[in-house]
Amino acid sequence: MNHLPARLAALTATAAAVALIVSGCSAGGGSTQSSSSKTLVVDNTFDLKTSDPARAFELTGSIVDKALYETALTFEGSDVTKPVPQLTTYTMSDDNKTITLTLNGKHVFSSGNPVTIDDIVWSYKRVQGIAGNPSFLLTNLSTGKPFAIEKTSDTTMTITDTAANPALPFILPNPSLGVLDEKTLEQHGGTTDKTDSAEQYLNGTSAGSGPYELSSYNATSKVVFKLNPKYVGTKPAFGRVVLNNVTGPSQKTDVQGNQAQLALNLNSQQVSGLESGSIKVAKFTSSNLGYLWLNQNASVSGGVTNQPDFVKAVRHAIDYKSLQTIAGTGSTQPGGMVPSQFLGSLASDENNTTDSAAAKSDLQSSGYKGQTITLSYPTDATLDGVSFADMAQSVQSNLESAGVKVKLNGLPIATLLDSFRAGKLQAGLMYWGPDFPDPSDYVTFSPGEGLGLRAGWTKDMSPSVTKAKEAAIAAQGDARASAYEAWQKAANADGAFVPLLQAARYQVTNGVSGNVPNAIWTVDLATVE
Amino acid sequence: MTAVQLPRRRALRVPVAWRRPAAIAGSVVLLAWVLVALLDPLLGLQDPLQQSVGDAFRAPSAAHPFGTDALGRDVLSRTLWGVRSSLPLAVALVAGSLVVGSVLGAVAGYLGGAVDEVIMRIADLVFAFPTIILAMVVAAALGPSLLNAVVALLVVSWPNYARVMRSLVLGARGQEYVVAGRLLGAGPFTSLRRDVLPNVSAPMLVLAMLDFGNQILLLAGLSFLGLGAVPPTPEWGSMVADGVTQFSSWWLATFPGLAIFSVVVAFNLIGDSLRDALDPRTAGAVQGSSI
Repeated sequence: MNHLPARLAALTATAAAVALIVSGCSAGGGSTQSSSSKTLVVDNTFDLKTSDPARAFELTGSIVDKALYETALTFEGSDVTKPVPQLTTYTMSDDNKTITLTLNGKHVFSSGNPVTIDDIVWSYKRVQGIAGNPSFLLTNLSTGKPFAIEKTSDTTMTITDTAANPALPFILPNPSLGVLDEKTLEQHGGTTDKTDSAEQYLNGTSAGSGPYELSSYNATSKVVFKLNPKYVGTKPAFGRVVLNNVTGPSQKTDVQGNQAQLALNLNSQQVSGLESGSIKVAKFTSSNLGYLWLNQNASVSGGVTNQPDFVKAVRHAIDYKSLQTIAGTGSTQPGGMVPSQFLGSLASDENNTTDSAAAKSDLQSSGYKGQTITLSYPTDATLDGVSFADMAQSVQSNLESAGVKVKLNGLPIATLLDSFRAGKLQAGLMYWGPDFPDPSDYVTFSPGEGLGLRAGWTKDMSPSVTKAKEAAIAAQGDARASAYEAWQKAANADGAFVPLLQAARYQVTNGVSGNVPNAIWTVDLATVE
Repeated sequence: MTAVQLPRRRALRVPVAWRRPAAIAGSVVLLAWVLVALLDPLLGLQDPLQQSVGDAFRAPSAAHPFGTDALGRDVLSRTLWGVRSSLPLAVALVAGSLVVGSVLGAVAGYLGGAVDEVIMRIADLVFAFPTIILAMVVAAALGPSLLNAVVALLVVSWPNYARVMRSLVLGARGQEYVVAGRLLGAGPFTSLRRDVLPNVSAPMLVLAMLDFGNQILLLAGLSFLGLGAVPPTPEWGSMVADGVTQFSSWWLATFPGLAIFSVVVAFNLIGDSLRDALDPRTAGAVQGSSI
């Protein structure tokens, strides 16, 4: 008699264990489930600080905010050369100073409140007022003056810059400009100035009209999303998404064991030989640009790097193919300073080609007398996982083959930036990540402009490049692409910067598809199926 | 009146120490590394700086017994050439620390008073910081280079020697033979040089031998942190640093790591044997003379 309760308990425990195992197995995203119960697990190495769009400007933050919030305009898939409507359509004024946004159909926040022009205006003013990392997106970068944002009717609004700014439509798709539910946020401390205290609320509850809502949030371990039932767009294939903070090597084992269906941070070595069966590797080119600079300031150049023929010799001495081999398959050499996937990018340029005979001849005509040049590089930063020390050693070897003596000077990036910004470094390697996907973000690499001055390249040094830059800024519509190409050709012929490399990035999937790499938000979780 | 009997100077019967198996093993390993350092150019190795990016990350094979690195360079060649950076610099570092520390410690111990106070408080100041942290600060201030790393480690290493030397000198200066020497007219520095230092040199030598391994590790550590060797110089610490980010290419960190291990163990074995041989309390030790 005494055995009966024990047996019952054992049976109950067994049944519970079986139920748990069955439910555990079915949580892996099996295809037999309805979409609302399917879970997608994504591995990402976090750089997450916040999910508040007005404060987030990190890669992981953009993935999160893209899933939670809609923007006025967006990009289709990987194509960042053409902004398309999302919450609004747009028109540009003839002088390129003003963009007019008009509500595009009906969109609804997860709270049930409709998305209005007031919400968009309020969200943009909040980005400006909080003055967080992304506030520069709605600011004139030359003058520091915020764009004027005005509601012009119940369905229209304008954003006006003080100078012509054809990049305006390319700025608005950034997830940091996601539109928030003003009514909900105001109840939780949301304001359009520095008194705003809604960040904590937004890190627990999203207030957007995007495909997902925030289910749980931990900036150091995981972010969980659930479907937003009020979303008016195409319903995502997965009802639940878990974004886990996982390092590269663990991402590999996760995706191999189907513990994760999508891994975002594997490098070329880790993806090598990984593709088999249901595991697919998608290669794409990063929009981060690795470049070399040669200081044109006579007092910093040592009388060497400011010689036009010396710069030409360096351009021809570099083995660009070797750099691509170091960076892994899928990496590319941009023709100019504008990354290959952006409007106005240059496919190639004869000035930036490997030609050892031309390098030696240019070096001879430059008057180079065997001086040692110091090539600085960051020791604690990588170009999408590619070590700058490896790139620097490759460039050093190339230049020494051409007859140039090079001393390497590895510095922590903070130290390097201090000296670089002060224009004190003779030559070096650095990278530039896009603020927004428009070539106007790159005119800073011109004489007399911000980056140009860091390389001692003043406005009077290269009138042809300055003229081409001004023509590019003034160009409108279809003429913009060719104008920016002309500017880059001029800068390659007579400039301080050598575009070296855009590294490859990889997205590895196991049993899912629809992940489209994007230069701004890495991946749109809602399109994965 | 009885004449004061001066002690026989304690002879360094090093051969006794070298007869121990541990010392023999350590010496063989160390000698092998010294030979490698001297004969590197004659060993027919590949150029340690020669890049071949198409052959990057090759696993160990007949062509590359230790594999290749991110730039396709031969890891065997770089490991064997690496001894040319590590070993001479460690010798220079230990010798420098020994000389600076011993001189300051001897002066402090023998003269005492304000001189002793000043020197020992400076030593205390250095001891107040963790060794590697202070070395990093100094190396970062001087800029990355192997020579600067040696200077940085010299700054943090001399107090060890100074303290030991000071205590030995304090013990020796009251000995009758030292007092007798002074009474016979020897000046303080003559007395220090002729009567004190020769009788305290054995423990200092043991300390130096035992410190070699530590200094090699610290040098490699600074290079590992990017504060020592400058690329493309082959140096064990920086090679290990390159390897730790490439988990799947295990050979990158393993072989230079084993090289560091072998040299450190060799020095420790020799140092231990020397200590045992010179310690009067250990069986088979050199017998010190009694008064």
